[in-house]
Amino acid sequence: MTASPGVRGALGAAAATLRRRALGRFEIDEWGADPELVDLLVPALGAVTRIRVHGATRVPERGPALLVVGSRLGLAEPFVVVAGLRRAAGRRARFAGIPDVAPIGLVLRRLGGAVGRPGEVAGLLHAGHLVLVTLSPEWRRPLRAGTVEPELIHPALGAGAPILPVAAMGGEISGRWQVVVGEPIAPPRRRTGRHSPLALAELADAARAGVQELIDEASPPGPSWLGR
Amino acid sequence: MRVLVTGVGGDLGRKVALLLAADPGVSDLVGTDMYPPRGRVRNMTFRLIDPRDRRPLLRLVREVEPTAIVHLGIYEPSARSTPHEAWERTESATLAVLGEAADLGALERVVLRSGLEVYGRGRGSVTVPDEAVPPVPTSAFGRSLLEVERLAFATGQDGGVPVAALRFAPLVGPRFPSPLGRLLRLPVVPFSALADPPFSVVHADDAAAAVVAALRAGIDGPLNVVAPGAVTVSQAALMGRRLPLGLLGPEWALVRRLTAAAGAPLPSHLMELLHRGRTACGARCRELVPAIAERTTADIVAELHGWSDPARLQLVQGEAA
Repeated sequence: MTASPGVRGALGAAAATLRRRALGRFEIDEWGADPELVDLLVPALGAVTRIRVHGATRVPERGPALLVVGSRLGLAEPFVVVAGLRRAAGRRARFAGIPDVAPIGLVLRRLGGAVGRPGEVAGLLHAGHLVLVTLSPEWRRPLRAGTVEPELIHPALGAGAPILPVAAMGGEISGRWQVVVGEPIAPPRRRTGRHSPLALAELADAARAGVQELIDEASPPGPSWLGR
Repeated sequence: MRVLVTGVGGDLGRKVALLLAADPGVSDLVGTDMYPPRGRVRNMTFRLIDPRDRRPLLRLVREVEPTAIVHLGIYEPSARSTPHEAWERTESATLAVLGEAADLGALERVVLRSGLEVYGRGRGSVTVPDEAVPPVPTSAFGRSLLEVERLAFATGQDGGVPVAALRFAPLVGPRFPSPLGRLLRLPVVPFSALADPPFSVVHADDAAAAVVAALRAGIDGPLNVVAPGAVTVSQAALMGRRLPLGLLGPEWALVRRLTAAAGAPLPSHLMELLHRGRTACGARCRELVPAIAERTTADIVAELHGWSDPARLQLVQGEAA
């Protein structure tokens, strides 16, 4: 029995990739991400989940953007959004907020994770990345968007990056996910040279409200204990 | 401009001196170090002084009365000095040269060698800090660099003199005595299997160009000098066809002894790099010296493995073989 040309080609490409990696000829960026590994795992994640993305055209084709993602538990959502945007918008997104502890930190960094510090988010945005920051999970009311620290959104203003609300809805058990990207949130006006703490707090509220709106639009009416 | 260069005996110091010697804006060039530079530098007067010997250093400063100081007399632990000697020499040279030059009143600008070690790599710290991130050093070398920066900035503020602190990524070059370079050239390269973080380096030639550009521009404040991109330790070993050896924790103590015996000691700031990584944002410096963007960290590491080992010449009766 002989393998088809397609299979032979795939095996040859895999062998070439392994040989190249064995010689250290692959890219690791300054934050520790391995883009080749991410591209390898996205189809694998796609095989076990079904991710539908709406509003992917709102994600800029190039340059930085800050995505404020509503999450229930905050565990699977970053990966779902990263995989969805890779396929729908052709971009690799980074997610902030990983624990800086070995060995989980190593694994998450290779997949595009970064610590949730304003300086880290600023660095990623200045380097032109899409950066995900997740809202705090609302454990008791899964359909209510949580909150985000204004300091994590502030770097987007400095980098001139659009701030986009994103809702990721679905479940690990069903494997079906829906990712909705909303309209960019208008940055606050500056009365002085710097953004005031109040303006930043209002921007964080606007991001949270933007995510809530997406959740409300995408979710069917449900019982009040879900946070509706 | 009358320029005094400290640490001129090192590879970086000599490269900087060669660039300054060719600069028409430099009228007098004086260099000092505890070792003579490897090769002659035209138009430069050299004084052999151990930085721990403060009096001759003070006399030299009074004699030269420099308008600019390029302070490269910052000694990296386990490069050419033991950690204790490195700190003594660094502190003594900084106090004597900057203090005396400021008192003379002719000083117009200072450029200082510092390092990315000043940022520290504590848990949750920013992975790729820019100059706005406050330094919180977590290694002995990082703390000594921050102390030198504080002394220099205080001197600059008192006299209204711009002080450029160039925070270099680990310096690597063909003749640069670098603990990291020595480690990566071992046949078996230990790395942290639980972290294997990315690090960046900068080539000694690019670092020298950055020093001279900062001096000419009169930069005031810190400036990260780092080649674009990063590699991990295991990746760097593979690039040089070395065997990467992943370690989990307790065996590091033994490995440190073995690498020291093999001529590659692992000082605390290098251990920090191996476990927590070391990169930074060098965008500001790349605006000042665009050539730094042309040589990536991966290129420099590949070059590092390409450099030949020192050739030992055999003396044959009366002539060199």
